[in-house]
This record gives sequence, structure tokens and C-alpha cells, in this order.
Amino acid sequence: MIGDLGPFWLSLRVAGLATLLIVTLGVPVALLLARLRFPGKGLVAGVLVLPLVMPPTVLGYGLLLILGRRGWLGGWLESAFGASVVFHWSGAVIASTVAAFPMFLVPARGAFEGVDPALEDAARLLGRGETSVFLSITVPLAWRGLVAGGVLAFARAMGDFGATMMVAGDIPGLTQTASMAIFDAVNADDPGRAAGLSLLVALASIGAVLVAQRTMPGRGPGR
Amino acid sequence: MSGTSGGLEVRLGHRVHPGLTLDVSFRLGSEPGILFGPSGAGKSTVLRLIAGLSRPDRGFVGLNGSVLFDSAAGVRVQLRDRRIGLIFQDDLLFPHLDVGRNVRYGLKSWGRRAADDRLATIAGLCEIGHLLGRRVATLSGGERQRVGLARALAPRPRLLLCDEPVSALDLDARQALIDRIKAVQRAESIPILYVTHSPAEAVALGSRMFLLSGGQIVAEGPPLDVLASRTSAESTGWNSIRNVFRATVEGQDPSGHSTTLGIVDGPSLVVPALDRPPGSLVTLAVGADEIVLSRGPIGVISARNLIEGTVDRVAPHGPEAEVVVRTGGVTWVVGVVPGAVDSLGLIAGVEVRMIIKARSCRVLPDGPT
Repeated sequence: MIGDLGPFWLSLRVAGLATLLIVTLGVPVALLLARLRFPGKGLVAGVLVLPLVMPPTVLGYGLLLILGRRGWLGGWLESAFGASVVFHWSGAVIASTVAAFPMFLVPARGAFEGVDPALEDAARLLGRGETSVFLSITVPLAWRGLVAGGVLAFARAMGDFGATMMVAGDIPGLTQTASMAIFDAVNADDPGRAAGLSLLVALASIGAVLVAQRTMPGRGPGR
Repeated sequence: MSGTSGGLEVRLGHRVHPGLTLDVSFRLGSEPGILFGPSGAGKSTVLRLIAGLSRPDRGFVGLNGSVLFDSAAGVRVQLRDRRIGLIFQDDLLFPHLDVGRNVRYGLKSWGRRAADDRLATIAGLCEIGHLLGRRVATLSGGERQRVGLARALAPRPRLLLCDEPVSALDLDARQALIDRIKAVQRAESIPILYVTHSPAEAVALGSRMFLLSGGQIVAEGPPLDVLASRTSAESTGWNSIRNVFRATVEGQDPSGHSTTLGIVDGPSLVVPALDRPPGSLVTLAVGADEIVLSRGPIGVISARNLIEGTVDRVAPHGPEAEVVVRTGGVTWVVGVVPGAVDSLGLIAGVEVRMIIKARSCRVLPDGPT
């Protein structure tokens, strides 16, 4: 009835990798935005949340211009590695990473801003170095916001349609993610497949929320 | 700890804001020192500069012979290498760690056995043994400060800085924490620099006081002497209270309306009823302008305190004069107008009586507020 589950697994893989990329890039960026003052900070912060307000197809088109064979980044990738991310599942990862990045950045920045720098100074005075302070004080106190951002980003990446479609296309067995397969199933008048895949995607997102909740401390940082 | 020569040496210049520039120099040995001054004098800033939480514009901070900060030589030791304990007005406990983990936080580089032993010792000293498994959010204000004290002391700092740690506590908890800090200071023989604007805290805790006013240390010495000095009255806005003594509660009047205090090395005074058990130590303050001097016989009067003394010296100060009166081992400063000096014939050696109303005696549980 559901048929081929390939698109669902691809979506999971794409969203998982995208979330990994987003958290890896997003933690330092969020920390810089929360802690540093520099000229043009407002502009940088604004550009970084732009994907949130842009229509996904516009975002995808922009990425295509950059990453396509004639784009400046795509052209370089082609000549240097003979590789292209366009119409490849890695393009889907990049597209959903960009589309979902603000979903992590905004709550993560807020979470870091919520950590009292005086607590970090107290930790330093107790003999701890920067890495130790970050891991033992900053991250635990910002944990809720970081996890919430991670879940939001994962869910957004899992459900991305427009941006991914523009960059990676809808090639069954290669770049067709669950969202596209659902769209195609509806067009092909296959309600069983559309409903089944929808249910799976919904369950995956709900599952992510549940997993995230289990990592939360029983009560918030009581400050 | 090698409490070698030197102790704490501070010479700092720092612009706090356009209206206040610090130019502070002092030395502190191994005794508990008090950094005293009115609100806004920059006391907390001095502490932050010593701790390294803010960067001084220029100057020098040395501790036990090692340099922590020297603008001339370009030295600025990292926070984590300073080995300075700091307790704050806001206790700044780590909210996500339980009490035991908070206290252990500075013991990471210690071996497990050593850290366990140290935790046990310090928990005993600060009376937090029964709290070690508790969440920080469930503690009372006094408990939180004791945990903060234990956490600061655990890694054996070379100096303990205290930034008005009791100001958020109620009276009983204040006294308890100050007693605790004193006990810990003796047990660990660690130098302390304690910031406060409360004379009572200063007298209760310190053996050396630095009076910070207008960005400079304007007086330094034993707390009672500094508090009683003219400089103190002028710079703290704590006007005309020039007579500050330590006293013990001697007894309560049966009517319950007054209490008798015995000034240490001095006379006894009747003051308004005070809810402290006999034997308690308190700080007594009497305004220089609230004491009346008399020679010759006195009729029946309402003032409760008639104290015999000898004029030690008379010092004119513009439109007023300061008469210093000695009674037993303590001296009093009495403010009079120059005319009174003449009509009473006040010169050194003359016997006088000081007339002090019970209600003019202020017993300080805390600062002048």
C-alpha cells in the first residue's frame, strides 16, 4: 500500500545530516552573535535568518544559481572535483541545511544570551579553562534552547520541499525525498501511499520531539 | 599555603565612569581587611579589578610576591590561574549542579581522594554537609551563601574576596554568615578582603579597614578608629556619628523599655530596649552633636546617661569645635560651638560630664542605611 520506503529513508538521512551540519555550524555562530559586539552584527544576524522569511522556491532558486554548473561555487566544485551537488542527494542536504538553519540559530542564540556571563566568570575563577567552562556551564545552561532548536531544524529539514526540489530535483530513487514522493503520490491518485508516507514523516518528527524531551532536565535551570 | 611576605598589594588607576576615576593604593597582609565606603564609591569595582573580572586601565596587583596584573610590564594573569576565591552579593551558584558538585567544581584537577577529603573538610567548616545532595534551587538565602563560601574556599585560594555577601540576607542570617566567615578565615588562615558599606559588618569582621571615597583610599587603620575619624564622617555622608564602640549587652531593664550596654574598656550606657541576650557583642554609635557637655552640678534631668570624663584636647573646626573626652580606655568626640568652649573653660585636663540621651544611642545591627 505504501510501496517503496526509499524516499522516507532518504528524507531521514538528508534531515539527519542537515541537522548535524546545522548544529556544527550553528553553535559557534549563535555563540558569537550572543557574546560578541562587532560592527554590522545586525546585518549578519538578519541575513542568517533570511531563509525563514523567504519563499522556499526563491531560496532554492538562489541556491541553484550559486551551486549550479555555471554558478560560482558550483563551477568551482565541478572543475576542482568533477562533482556536482545539483540533481544529487547532497544538494538536498545543502538545500535543507540552508532552509532550516535559522530554526536552530534563533533559539540557540537566545539560549546562549540567557546564560549569565557572571556564572562563566565564577567558573573561570575556580580554575577552569575556556573549553571546560563552555562544556560544563554554558552548554548545560543553554541545553533546552539548543535541543529545541535542533528539533525544529530537524523537523523543518524533514519537511522541506521547495528548496530541495529546486536544487536536487525529484528523481525517484536518487533525490526523491518523502515530501516529493507524497506530492507525486497525490498527483498519481495513490492516496494509500500519500497517507502512509505522511504518517511516517509525522511520526519521525513527533519522535524527534519525544527524544528531545527525554534529554531535558526535570526542571529548568532554576534561576 | 605559603603565606609568605607581601600579601596583597594593589595600585590601580581605572576610570569607572565619567564621574568616578579610581586611584587606589593599599597593602593587605594576612589579616581580614575591609574595603569600606558609601554606595557608588567603586568598592565592588576595586574587587572586580583585583579578581581580574574587569581589566584595569593601569596599575599593579600582586599577591604573595607573584604578579597578577602589571600594566607597565604587560602582565595579566588569566582568571583561572589567579587562585582567588570570590563570593558575591548574588551567590552565583551553578543552578544545574547540586550542592556537592558546586563545591567540587574547583577541585577538578585534584585527585579523587584528595577532592573527597577536601569536600568533607570544607563542608564541615561551612556546615553544609547535610545539603550536599540538594538542588541549589531548594536552598534558603543563608544556605546558598554558605555553599558559595564553601565553593570559593574549596580549591584553597590565596585570597578570598567578598562583595557584600550578606546584603541579601535577613539579620540573623547575616550575623551567622559573618561568624562563619570569621571561623573559616581562622581555620584556613587565608587573607580576606571584604567589601561593605555597613559599619557593623566592618567592625564585626575586619582588623584593618580601608576607607574608599572619591576614588581613593582616604583613611586606613583599625575599623573603629577609621569609623570614628573625621575623614570617615565627611566622606561617607555618615554625618556627625563620630563615636563608634564595641559594646556588650549587660542587662535588660525590668520594665522592658531599656537595655544597659557596657562599652569595651569604657563606661556603661542605657540605650533603648534591644532584643539581644546578655553578653552579645554589638556596635554602638553616638553622634558627636548629640552629646551635651557640662561642668558643675546637674539637676534632675531626663537623659539617662551622665558620664564622667576628662577633656583630652580641643580642636577648632571653623564654625564648630571638637572636644575629645577620655573615659577609661575610650575617647569620645563631642561637637560644640566655639562659644561653649569659652564659657565652660574647656581645656585639656578639665573634668566634664557628658550627658547622653538613651535615644541618641544607636545600636547598629547594620549600616547607616
